[in-house]
Amino acid sequence: MSEDMNISDILTEQIDRLFSNEITAKVWAAAEDGNFATALWQEITAMGVTSALVCESAGGAGLSWVDVEPVLRLCGRHAAPVPLGETMLAAWNLANAGLEIPEVPLAISPSVWQLDVKGRVSGIDPLIAWAPQLEYVVGVARSAGKQHICLLRIADIQAIALQTYERIPAAKLNIEHVVPVQIGDAPHIGKLGLKPHLATLRSVQMAGALDRILALCVEYGNTRVQFGKPIGKFQAIQHMIAELAGHTAAAQVAGLYACRQIATGIPADAEFGAAIAKTRLGSAATRATAIAHQVFGAIGVTDEHQLHYFTRRLWQWRAEAGSEHEWAQYLGRQAFDAGSAMLWDRLARHAAA
Amino acid sequence: MTTPFNFQPLELPAELLTLRREVRAFLADASSEWTGRDVGHSWTGFNREFSLEVGRRGWIGMTWPKRYGGHERSGLERYVVVEEMLAVGAPVGAHWFGDRQSGPLLLRMGTEAQRERFLPLIAQGKAAFCIGLSEPDSGSDLASLRSRATRVDGGWRLNGRKVWTTNAHLCDVMIGLFRTGGPAETEKHKGLSQFLIDMRASGIDVRPIRDLTGEAHFNEVTFDDVFVPDDMLVGREGEGWAQASAELAFERSQPDRYMSCFPLLPPAMDKLQELRLDDRLAERRLGESIAEMVVMREMSLSILGQLEAGRSPGQEAALVKDLGNTYEQRMPELVRELIDAPARINPDDRLSDLLGFLTQTVPTFSLRGGTREILRGIIAKGLGLR
Repeated sequence: MSEDMNISDILTEQIDRLFSNEITAKVWAAAEDGNFATALWQEITAMGVTSALVCESAGGAGLSWVDVEPVLRLCGRHAAPVPLGETMLAAWNLANAGLEIPEVPLAISPSVWQLDVKGRVSGIDPLIAWAPQLEYVVGVARSAGKQHICLLRIADIQAIALQTYERIPAAKLNIEHVVPVQIGDAPHIGKLGLKPHLATLRSVQMAGALDRILALCVEYGNTRVQFGKPIGKFQAIQHMIAELAGHTAAAQVAGLYACRQIATGIPADAEFGAAIAKTRLGSAATRATAIAHQVFGAIGVTDEHQLHYFTRRLWQWRAEAGSEHEWAQYLGRQAFDAGSAMLWDRLARHAAA
Repeated sequence: MTTPFNFQPLELPAELLTLRREVRAFLADASSEWTGRDVGHSWTGFNREFSLEVGRRGWIGMTWPKRYGGHERSGLERYVVVEEMLAVGAPVGAHWFGDRQSGPLLLRMGTEAQRERFLPLIAQGKAAFCIGLSEPDSGSDLASLRSRATRVDGGWRLNGRKVWTTNAHLCDVMIGLFRTGGPAETEKHKGLSQFLIDMRASGIDVRPIRDLTGEAHFNEVTFDDVFVPDDMLVGREGEGWAQASAELAFERSQPDRYMSCFPLLPPAMDKLQELRLDDRLAERRLGESIAEMVVMREMSLSILGQLEAGRSPGQEAALVKDLGNTYEQRMPELVRELIDAPARINPDDRLSDLLGFLTQTVPTFSLRGGTREILRGIIAKGLGLR
C-alpha cells in the first residue's frame, strides 16, 4: 500500500516537472491549430504513465483512481494539450476486459453503443475530443442486457469535425455497423457506460485548471499596481479571490471524491461520485471564470495572456460528459425516487454497501 | 504540486453505522412533537429536557475523559451524533455551546478543579453555557472590546456589557472575554482574559433583545461590579485572545455551518411530489443542493481529521464557513423558487412554518462566528494577498 503511494508520488512529481518545462503558450497554440504534440506525448509514454491504472499482471503500475488523481489534476493545471487522462482511462478499461492495449493515444466515448447479433457496433457520439487525430476510440456497447468494452478504429467511423471552446480537435462520431478491433467483458461498468468515468476525469481536470487560475489571480493581485498599490491590497479584490479559493478548494475535494467512488468498484458509487463532482465543478467553473476575468481586467481576455487557455477549457469541460445541469437532474431524480425520508441517508452515504 | 490548502479525505468507518442508527431511532421518536419553527431553530433551540436525555444516552462530552463525565469515544463518533441531530433540527442549544466550545476549552486550558466541577455537569446536560464575546461596539472586531475585569482581593470585578449572547437568559454559566490589561486603543489583542461566570451572580442583568422573528434568544448582558473568584480565570491572564481564536477556528468548520437549513429540504421534497412539481427544474435545483452539501461535508470531515491529528486548519475552516453560510442562506430561496409559497406563515403547516422562520433567520448565518467579509479577509491573508 505504502509502496503504491510512493509510485504515485514519484509519477506526480515527474509529470509536474515535465509539464512545467514543456507546456508553454506556444505548445497550446500549436495544439489548437491542429498539431499534435508528438514530442510531449513520447516523453509521457516513456514514463509509463499511460498504463498507471492498468493492473500489474497486464503490464501496468496497478495504481488506483485515488493514486492517479494528482496526475489527472495536473492535466488540468497545465491544460496539457494531450489526451493523457483519456488514454489512461481507455487502457484501464481495455485491461479490465482482458484486451490488448495499443501503444498510441486513445479516445474514450461517454455514450453507450449498441452491439448487434453480427457483432457490429452502432451509435452516435456527440463529441469526442482528439478523435480526428487518433487511431482508436474505446467505449461500451450493449447487447441483450450485457455490456462490452470495445476498441474501434476511428478510420472505420464517419467523423464530423466540430468547433469547441477549447479548440482542441474534436469530432462527432456516427458509428454504423462497425466491427470492433477488439471486444471484451465490461466488469465494474454500469448502465451509463464510461460517462461517469469521463465526467470524473473532466471534473478532476477542472479542479486543476481552477487551481492554476487561483495561482494566476493571486500572482496578478500582488504585482499589478493601480491607484498606487498592488490591486490585491484592495478589499474588493481580496474578497473576489477568497471566493475563488473556496470554489477551488471545493473543486479539489469534489474531484477526489469522485475518484474515491470509482475506486470502490461499484457502478452506482461511480455514478453518484461523478454526478456530485460534475455538478459541483460546473458551478465552480462558472463563478471562477467570471471572477478570474474580472480580476485580470482587459488583459485577461487577450490572446497574449495565458488565462484564456484555462477559462476556455473550464467552459469546455463543464459541458462535456454531461453538463452540471444534466448531472444535477440525475441526482435530483434519484433523490425524489428514493423519497424525502431517505435524503439524509443518501447524503451521509453511510448505509451504502 | 502545491495548493494553498489541505483537504485530505477522511472516510467514516462502517462501524459507526450502529451508532448512527441508534441516534436516528432516538430522534425519530423524540421529534414527533416538534413544530416547523422548533426544527428551524436547530442548534439554537433550547430544550433542557431534551439535553438531559441526550446526556443520559452519553452523547454529550463524548470524547472527554471518563473521569470528567465524558465517554472517551472518538471525534468521529461525536461527528455522527452531531450531524444526525442537525439533520432533523434537534433542539440541542442547551448543551451545544458547552459540548462544542466551553468543554473543550476547559479541557485544554482549564484548571483541574474547573474540569472536575463543570465538565460532568455539561456532559449530563445539566449546565448550559453561553459565550460572551461581542459587545455593543465590538462585533467581528473583537480585539476592540472594552468590558473590563479589575483585580480585587481574591478575584476580579467585572464591568461592561456583552451583546448577542444566545440564550443567556436560560444559561447557567458564561465564558466571557474581558479586558484585564491596557485599553483597547493601545493593546488590542493583548491583555484579554477569559472567565467562567456564574449567570446567577449578583450584578448581572440580562435583557432580552427581540429579533425580527418576534423571539428573544439574543440578549444583552450587563455586568455591574460582578465578582468572579480567582479560580474562575480560564487559562492564563492576558492570553484570552489566542484562546478565543482557537475556539472560533473549531467552531467554523462544523456541520452546523452548513446544515442549519437542511431540515427544510425533506418537507419541501414531499410538497413538490404531492403537487407533482418534481419536474426537471426541481430535480436540477435539488441535485445542485445535494452535490454542494456532499462536497461541503467531505471538507468538514477532512478538517475533523486534521483536528484529530493535532493540526489547526484555520484557513480551511474559514473556507468551509464561507461556503457553508452561502449554501444555507440560499436554501429558503431555493424552496421559494420551486414552490409558490403564499405570503403567510401557517403554523399548522410544517413547511410553511419552517420556511417562514428560516427566511427571517438566515441573514444572521453569515454574521455568527465571524462575518463573511472578515472570513474572506482571513482567506485572502492565507493566500498571501495582505
